[in-house]
Amino acid sequence: MGNSLKIEGLSRNFGSVIALDDFSLTIKKGELVSLLGPSGCGKTTALRIVAGLERASSGEITLNDKKITDVPAHKRNMGMVFQSYSLFPHLTIEENVAFGLQMRREPKEKRIGKAGELLELVGLTTQHKRFPHQLSGGQQQRVALARALAIQPEVLLLDEPLSALDAQVRQNLREEIRRLQVELNTTTLFVTHDQEEAMAISDRVGVMSHGKLEQIDTPDELYNRPATLFVASFIGAMNRIPTQLKDGEVEVLGEKHSVKNHNEKDGNVTALIRPESIELLHDSTYHNAVVVTRSFLGASSRITVRIGDGSILQSLMPSSDSMELHPGDLVQAVITDKKVLITNA
Amino acid sequence: MMNFRKNLDANIALAIAAIFLFLPLIAATEFSLRDGGTEKHSLISYRWILDQSGFSENLGITMRVMALAVILTLVLMVPTVTWLHLGGEKYKRLIDVLTMLPLIIPVVALATGAQLALPGFVHGTVYELSFLYVVVSMPYTYRALDIGMSARPLATLVAAARNLGASWINVMLRVIVPSILPSIFAALFMTITLSLGEFTLAQLLHWNTFPTWITNISQQNILGATALAVGSLFFAWVLLYIFTFLDRQPTQSAVNEE
Repeated sequence: MGNSLKIEGLSRNFGSVIALDDFSLTIKKGELVSLLGPSGCGKTTALRIVAGLERASSGEITLNDKKITDVPAHKRNMGMVFQSYSLFPHLTIEENVAFGLQMRREPKEKRIGKAGELLELVGLTTQHKRFPHQLSGGQQQRVALARALAIQPEVLLLDEPLSALDAQVRQNLREEIRRLQVELNTTTLFVTHDQEEAMAISDRVGVMSHGKLEQIDTPDELYNRPATLFVASFIGAMNRIPTQLKDGEVEVLGEKHSVKNHNEKDGNVTALIRPESIELLHDSTYHNAVVVTRSFLGASSRITVRIGDGSILQSLMPSSDSMELHPGDLVQAVITDKKVLITNA
Repeated sequence: MMNFRKNLDANIALAIAAIFLFLPLIAATEFSLRDGGTEKHSLISYRWILDQSGFSENLGITMRVMALAVILTLVLMVPTVTWLHLGGEKYKRLIDVLTMLPLIIPVVALATGAQLALPGFVHGTVYELSFLYVVVSMPYTYRALDIGMSARPLATLVAAARNLGASWINVMLRVIVPSILPSIFAALFMTITLSLGEFTLAQLLHWNTFPTWITNISQQNILGATALAVGSLFFAWVLLYIFTFLDRQPTQSAVNEE
């Protein structure tokens, strides 16, 4: 047990562009950590450096207390699943899964046995004699996952493995990745730009921006206590309401709220409010907003309202509580959180 | 109705192309089978070829020149084009242009100019032709390989193989070469057909090869010359067929949705 993968002070520049800036991260044995961020934030660069497919300009990587910064990719024993289809087109599914074992000079019977075992784990036993192009995208990624796991990797690296798939397959496969990862207790680094994906299956999520790790925390912490404005606006939807900070309080929608983060100076600030923290009261006598649209999403509905200063807010309410809201209705918008998050930006 | 008309046009075009292509071939084959000035058909002209002195000797020379050209093409072109696809992209445009040069430079200039650049040990041997054939076939071999590699996500395949523990040698031999095998065969076929039929360079540099021998003996016997031409053509077809047969990879996409 103990620390499995430790990344310290990793940097990488491409000419004058800084792709990765003093990036540090420790992943415990059996943990699934996601790196989440917009494209170009350095998450894939970080993953490729861990895999040994790219070199860091500076920094160090340690795996189970052994330095691997200079170990070539083919000796790192890390399984990787890529964004684009990466199966070897000239090999059958079984041969693809057994490739890593073949490179390790395992005897043929053992290779076939192990490949069969993994294909069973990903539910593709009957397809083992087929070629990659005869499988659908989702099946190909399952095989790629089986291939990466066949070498019993110290670390499993997932580089947006679901982004080329359609929504339904994507959701099934992400649950399956999580199931296998927990079952095999494989330390996993998962790179994605899809926050729902990251939040759904990760033990911890690291949010990245401009080559830096902005915050790394459990999905709940990230959502409820974002450390930076970037994290706050990147994770989930967020209403931004300009207001004044005075004596640790802000006035939002006509009511005073104390703030969660006290480190801001008095003066102009922006209050950050989640849509689900805004409730719209239809039968109130006091009105401060007018309904603009209502979109039915199933159990909940998203309602947009215009407030006094002309700006638009989003509210997320149970559909059953918002049935009577129609565009043009006057309502009272109330913030249900006692404490709100602010930023001086 | 539109569709039918479209098909009709296409079929007429196809028929004209087929006549254009096959009629001379059929005529040449029939002609090569004539028994002297008579109405009868026989293999006499083909037997005549085998009886000519120098047949096996010159064919042997051409075969050896061809074999070296094939090896050189494999060793030089496959790694080069692979490198262009795996990190040398910025040179690709330059190489694209460079590989066209053999089509533009007059053969005489190529023969004398390229000779100067050849390694010393091939000077004065017939194998200098192999090096020149590699150059002359380059516009075709380069493109065949380039297309084959462009059709594969080569960088990802290499990354996957490295990640699974493959050394660079294994990456090359077990991943890159097999996954672009059809285009390697296509490239080699270009080199082979060119080596089998190239006349100008051999003649300019005063080497006796199979094509120069054919030219010489065809002046003695027109039926024999036609038989030779038809024979070479069928030989090339057989080669092409063998290559297609060797490429057993299924190419038909049969996606099976989940």
